[in-house]
Amino acid sequence: MSIVDRAETAFESGELTIARWINVLALFGLIGVLAGSLFLQFGVGEQPCPLCLVQRSGMIAIAVGPIMNLLWGMRPMHYALSILGAMVGSAGSVRQILLHIEPGDPGYGPAVFGLHLYTWALVTFAIAIVGCAFMLLWTKTFEAGDTGVVDQRGFLRFAAFVGIAWVTIDLLIVGISVVPECGLGMCPDNPADIQGLGGVGGVLMTIAVGAVAVIVAAIADRRMSSKPSESV
Amino acid sequence: MMLSMFILWIAVFLGIFFRQKWVPVLAVVSLVWTLALLRLHMTDPIPLNF
Repeated sequence: MSIVDRAETAFESGELTIARWINVLALFGLIGVLAGSLFLQFGVGEQPCPLCLVQRSGMIAIAVGPIMNLLWGMRPMHYALSILGAMVGSAGSVRQILLHIEPGDPGYGPAVFGLHLYTWALVTFAIAIVGCAFMLLWTKTFEAGDTGVVDQRGFLRFAAFVGIAWVTIDLLIVGISVVPECGLGMCPDNPADIQGLGGVGGVLMTIAVGAVAVIVAAIADRRMSSKPSESV
Repeated sequence: MMLSMFILWIAVFLGIFFRQKWVPVLAVVSLVWTLALLRLHMTDPIPLNF
């Protein structure tokens, strides 16, 4: 079977659609992690430590792969970037785990389901590496000549746009919130807690960010739909 | 310093949205810079006696 035949088979069998949905779900998984960290920062008032910021950078780096897959088309290089991002992020997680490895050390920050956030971050990075490796095994999706979801009208494109917009807004919030905490210099190793918005305020903030992402995605989806050159 | 890391990621995202060829290169640069910042913040010793 030639590469062209295999590519056509991938399209016909819907494998490309499944791969795209997996990328969208991966984005929403990362959004969950980033939203959780922003809830702790703005809802509870826990300022992120420098190692926490490195791990957030790793999470954002993982998101680069799925976003490029959805906007540019499936390519092995995009998954490779996610794997590299997960490895850099896990370096920060492992460093922080080792700092609190001694018996009796209470760890840094609150624990969720018995594990601290940096341990959960390492679990997330490991899942991302394994997930990308499995997606790389799925070679048929790369032979399909995919050009992304931009020209594909439908709910998948809208969901992809929501995920991409949400991650981008989270990135902007994380980036801007670094300024009052660290200024332009080095961040403090143990930043002081701030007055948080409270549990309800944190949830409302998360919902508001999601709502803005949906609005941005709807506008982008509408603009793409009104393009005359679109191939439906 | 940490702000620069996120400025780089914002540039990467802008590059993706405008389909720029330099995106993978800048993404790798951002990762290397993240590692450099991690190294700069490695001030406390790990409490293990290897």
